[in-house]
Amino acid sequence: MTTRTRTKPELLAPAGNLEKLKFAIHYGADAVYIGGQQFGLRSNAGNFSYDEMREGVAFANKYNAKVYVAANIIAHNENLEGLHEFFKELYEIGISGVIVADPALIQASREAAPDLEVHISTQASVANWKTAEFWKNEGLPRVVLAREVSVEEIREMKEKVDIEIEAFIHGAMCISYSGRCVLSNHMSARDANRGGCAQSCRWKYDLFEDGTDGTVAVSDESDEQYTMSSQDLSMVEHLPDLIEAGVDSLKIEGRMKSIHYVATVVNVYRKIIDTYFEDPENYQIQQEWIDEIWKAAQRSLTSGFYYDEPTEKDQLFGRPNRIPKYDFAGLVLDYDEETQMATIQQRNNFGIGDEVEFFGPNFYHFKQTITAIWDENDEPIERAKHAMMITKVKVDQPVEKFNMMRKGK
Amino acid sequence: MSSYKPELQVSARNLEEVKRLAQAGADAIFVGNQQFANRQPGDFSLFEIKEATEWLHSQGKKIYVMVNAIYHNEHLESLPTYLKDLEQLKVDGIVAGDQSIYQILRDIKCSLPLTWDPETLSTNYQTLNFWAQRGLSRATLSNELSLDAVIKIKENVHFPIEMQIHGMTNIFHSKRKLVRNYYAQIDETYDRSKTRFIKENRKPETHYPIFEDLNGTHIMSNEDLAMIEYLDQIIDAKIDGLYIEGILKTIDYNEKIVALYREAIDTYLADPAAFETKKTAFKQMIADIQPDDRQLNTGFYFKEQID
Repeated sequence: MTTRTRTKPELLAPAGNLEKLKFAIHYGADAVYIGGQQFGLRSNAGNFSYDEMREGVAFANKYNAKVYVAANIIAHNENLEGLHEFFKELYEIGISGVIVADPALIQASREAAPDLEVHISTQASVANWKTAEFWKNEGLPRVVLAREVSVEEIREMKEKVDIEIEAFIHGAMCISYSGRCVLSNHMSARDANRGGCAQSCRWKYDLFEDGTDGTVAVSDESDEQYTMSSQDLSMVEHLPDLIEAGVDSLKIEGRMKSIHYVATVVNVYRKIIDTYFEDPENYQIQQEWIDEIWKAAQRSLTSGFYYDEPTEKDQLFGRPNRIPKYDFAGLVLDYDEETQMATIQQRNNFGIGDEVEFFGPNFYHFKQTITAIWDENDEPIERAKHAMMITKVKVDQPVEKFNMMRKGK
Repeated sequence: MSSYKPELQVSARNLEEVKRLAQAGADAIFVGNQQFANRQPGDFSLFEIKEATEWLHSQGKKIYVMVNAIYHNEHLESLPTYLKDLEQLKVDGIVAGDQSIYQILRDIKCSLPLTWDPETLSTNYQTLNFWAQRGLSRATLSNELSLDAVIKIKENVHFPIEMQIHGMTNIFHSKRKLVRNYYAQIDETYDRSKTRFIKENRKPETHYPIFEDLNGTHIMSNEDLAMIEYLDQIIDAKIDGLYIEGILKTIDYNEKIVALYREAIDTYLADPAAFETKKTAFKQMIADIQPDDRQLNTGFYFKEQID
């Protein structure tokens, strides 16, 4: 393998709200993307008021991290109001860029805030180098690729066009070309391209063939009903391929996911990127990184289109074959070195005798058995049963604020 | 008084259908080669496009060539040559929905008129005006729009607008082979010559055609659009192109549908009162030839949507 002098790509994480933003950055994201209260696709993801954006940007600035805003709806006529004010406000708040799919929004952003970076969203299905060149000539610094593009195609794009490429490395995927699916509009009257996706592709269907004597129910041949549900993307085992293809920003999906999910996934990819850049020649994937990813996985995992065209092995048929095997049990708020006591906010029921795992940024990990818990009044308790209750727990090794505690299901 | 007259457009699978639909009253025929086009009822070679073009032009009709695939790098190797060939054949235009088309037409100095049809992404007038500044000649609107939204777009642009008025609409496009994957999953033999559909669980009345082509898997709408009764509103709004999707229907059916829409359009243009009298009968004549498993409706043109 030849050594190259690449700069580290950006690790870009989802942040559904202010808390997730802080965790993503604390666990090693170089940038986060959030939604505003308008023009975004995740209407249930919490989303940020302008004040929350200001707080998010201030926090990110302390860590030299960037905040992008996804404004990736496909607008209808009635959604065109207020665009200029929105983008102007984002620029003044200090947002580093906007992720946009609809050219009406691109134009509004450039008119209202010419210095605000505009990135083309994956919803626009940028799948070839000429489209990248088109946007480059329009003056845009970055395209987010369609999920249907292979590593080889990315390499060719980077060779032919001098534009930043952002590509997904982890998370849930549309099985359609993103933006080219209106199943949800048709089946539920909910417009996926304006944030209302009902995930109709993951429903169960029956498949029929037209035959000479009417129709034949193909799905009767099997217990497994027809569906278009995709496994989730994970490039944990192949990240150097994307880095060497020249991807500038490695993107994790999931603004709706928990802080435990975001922290876990960011932690792993941060570790991989840093380890790779320390010594690319001798880089080797570690089983513990893969294991760690599985602790947050919600579906089985696939490399999508990056190598070969996905087959039935990359889809989800029948019952889900892998569910999360860990619960997020508690969040460390504080630690007293002298007493070795951690102040922990309960996030799931835990108690004495439970095997738990603590983890934190820089891939810090240790396991222990819970031996003693006290409640807020310093009364010893057997189990922390109440949601969000504040407890003190005796820990075997030092922890710090922002560390997390998980336990097996 | 302007010389407005809507163009009645329909897709065709082969030369026979091109001729029959033109003779039935279509003003323009849409054809395509599957290498560059999604959801084609046929697969026209350049030679067949040449024949169709010459014949249609001799009849005073138009031909548009669909190149509406989502392009990947490999499409770009042969697409420029293909476009130059189409230009030489003097087809009346191409229909495309990949953003690279603007760059490609510029690069190869191809002057073919472009009908911009990004399918689900053609939903507001500012977006279309953005593309108009980059070179489109006309635009096809998304099917998931109210008729009021269509009219508002028409009022706010200065180029011709097209909308689908009849037939099934595409509701899902994946690059994956989602039909044969399932046969592999359940260990059954996949026969590509068969037609197929899916039903929603516990909704036996549903019927979504599903098929694969070179560019992936496509799922079509549960109902066939049929806007014949509402042609008065559409024509009053001066919508320029009215498209009938002929895929997965017989030539006989398409021929009758084209003839009915031709008659309905001409009736309204000549005598609105006569159209008013006859419109229910037009609708009934469509219902009479409609396949049993295909219900008719008006799509999103009069439907409430949640965003």
